Amino acid sequence: MSEEIETRLIVIAPSSEVTPDHVTRFIHGLGLPITVKETCYGAIIEGPKDLVRGALEKVRELDPNRICSKIRGFPMGDTRRCRAHHGSRPGFAQLEKEWETLALIAEGLRCVQKGEKVTEPEKRKVLPVMELKRIIEEVSK
Amino acid sequence: MKIFIDPPNSLILYDLVERFGHEPLSTMAALRDKVTSLEIDSPPLNITYKDVQKGLNYAGIEVPSGIRGRLAIFGPLVDEAEAAIIMEEPPYAFGCVGCHRTTLMLKYLLRKREIPMLQISYPSNEEEAKLMVSQVKEFLEGLK
Repeated sequence: MSEEIETRLIVIAPSSEVTPDHVTRFIHGLGLPITVKETCYGAIIEGPKDLVRGALEKVRELDPNRICSKIRGFPMGDTRRCRAHHGSRPGFAQLEKEWETLALIAEGLRCVQKGEKVTEPEKRKVLPVMELKRIIEEVSK
Repeated sequence: MKIFIDPPNSLILYDLVERFGHEPLSTMAALRDKVTSLEIDSPPLNITYKDVQKGLNYAGIEVPSGIRGRLAIFGPLVDEAEAAIIMEEPPYAFGCVGCHRTTLMLKYLLRKREIPMLQISYPSNEEEAKLMVSQVKEFLEGLK
């Protein structure tokens, strides 16, 4: 496969009102010669690098802070990964967790864009042993 | 600039680095070359003796093979990096993604290179996310 071919995951944050179906139809509507696949978290797109980047920029305009993307190592439909061919999905737990966190990241991006002041949240302190002992005694009464 | 991200396959860090105008160095790009190469010597994932040798450039022979194997992929990225962002204790760091010893070795390799490095924690609430994004933005804008 040529180096110029790129596969990208487009992931929509759970707080977004944009749906994977909307994203997929939107990319189809662009009329670019790239392959699009709708997924539970958004879409996968594959094609020449510049076209994929162009499509991504346009998709991002739908909801700039809540549509995120990263490249994918394996090509779309690769038998080593594709579920249709019983491929393994070793990165799914990570993708699921990061998808959940995207709502927080979107909030962070909004805050940075507005130039809001960010204060460092208090760090969690270690519970002293005596305090733990007091709690145990209180509960076991 | 080329920014090494840790976890090297993090969606959040990859997206943020690209958003703020830099090039993220990730596992996905390194693996893509390997799995889409026409000369597949050792299917299905094309891991060859050359990778074993590469791993030995970054860790001694007494180090477990899993760590050396990971470093064969991550090590060249560290060499290429001009700056690094490390996300501490991501909750999904288990199984094939979360080898703690590899992360420790990566941090050691990055410190040895003396490149600009940002260490942030995985956000668990809105306040932490705001802090994280602003730290990443400040760091990346400072590199230009």
